[in-house]
Amino acid sequence: MPTLTIHPTGEVIYLETGETVLSGLYKAGYSYTVGCKRGGCGICKVDCHGGTFSYERPIASTVISDEERVDGTCLSCRAVPDTDITIELRGDNVRLVNPFLRQINEKARLRAEAAIATHTCRQGPPSAGTSEE
Amino acid sequence: MGVMRMGYAHVRVTDLTEAKNHYASTMGLYETHTDVSPDGARRVFYKGWDEWDHHSVVLEEGGVGVVKYGWKVEKSEDIDIIEKKAAGFGVTVERMSKGENPEIGDGIRFMTPSEHVFEVYHEATAIGTEVGTHNPEAFPRHLVGVGAPALDHSLVTAEDVQGMEDFLREVFDFYPTEKAMTSLDDDGECVGTWMTSNNQIHQFAVIGGPQGKLHHFAFRLGDWHEVGRAADLMTMDDVPIDVGPTRHGITRGQTVYFFDPSGNRNEVFSGGYLAFPDRPVNIWTVDQLGKGIFYHARELNERFTTVLT
Ligand code: FES
Ligand SMILES: [Fe+2]
Repeated sequence: MPTLTIHPTGEVIYLETGETVLSGLYKAGYSYTVGCKRGGCGICKVDCHGGTFSYERPIASTVISDEERVDGTCLSCRAVPDTDITIELRGDNVRLVNPFLRQINEKARLRAEAAIATHTCRQGPPSAGTSEE
Repeated sequence: MGVMRMGYAHVRVTDLTEAKNHYASTMGLYETHTDVSPDGARRVFYKGWDEWDHHSVVLEEGGVGVVKYGWKVEKSEDIDIIEKKAAGFGVTVERMSKGENPEIGDGIRFMTPSEHVFEVYHEATAIGTEVGTHNPEAFPRHLVGVGAPALDHSLVTAEDVQGMEDFLREVFDFYPTEKAMTSLDDDGECVGTWMTSNNQIHQFAVIGGPQGKLHHFAFRLGDWHEVGRAADLMTMDDVPIDVGPTRHGITRGQTVYFFDPSGNRNEVFSGGYLAFPDRPVNIWTVDQLGKGIFYHARELNERFTTVLT
């Protein structure tokens, strides 16, 4: 259950496992510059400030250069986070265009967090594990 | 008559399996050949059901954008004539021999002033339309998906649009049917041109932008209804629709812009009025270009000018 934090607003978006950054943003009611949605045009680049991601498909070298592969550039329509990640949008800021979707996403995130908390409680905190040895 | 039509568009795709799914299952093209290019790239060749030559679309694995366009001329002498005219324009022309492109004959190859590779040829292996020529049916019974009958035209970007128009006029005997100008005054600059060699409303169009880039290549459809049905199929197959279904003010054609699985823009296009060389050229001023491109929304979206492969 990776989360996507938008710098500098601090908005936290919940992503389904395997979901791309761009799809997560749109599903949470946010709008951002987008073109082909298929990794070909390069218009959806954002900067990744923390966490890691992978590309779900091969990306053309004309779209992401060798430099951009290591400088934090994230082609948002093809990037699937491996961990929680923090991104900053280029040019303009993210716009909330659909508060309804944002609400739904927020609830999904809280549910997912609660599920993890419950799961952790049942197992007990890591330090309590000594009793089983 | 020189150039008869755009015979093939040869494009790059990042993932051949996904691309094949799009061009064969969604667009309904017929696969005619697969091979590996001399550089080791996997390729697939397609034709539409109403095309008779061996192929009109070539997909090559690795990257995105256009590799080259093929132009079929009516007579073999046309190749020599075009070779001379292109050389006269200051372009370096090389000869290509039969088989350099599978099932395509001898011809010439050159880079246009817009930095797109053009090949000109006269012979292609004819394999016939899917309905044949003897008492043909109206369409094949078992078309797949959109069932595009044929490749239609392409739009590319170039830094010097007027220069490219001059080139196509002199070398290919193309004439513009519509143009986009910064002003109607004498000092107006051409920022878009839609050109053809015959009654087809446009075969090749150029708008201002970076050199060597692909805006879209288009498949022909019969009418509005088919364009709407194609859009429905794109939704079923999760094909990202860029714009449409709508009409272009320019050409009056009906359209959907959409993206293939590598992000190359495709179009399905129907209608458009008949072109004639003596018909006065339609001029669009930049303040009305939104209506010219998207007749209903009347606004150029940001993607139209920035999203290219
Ligand atoms: S939208 Fe085109 S590369 Fe992401
Ligand atoms: Fe078009």
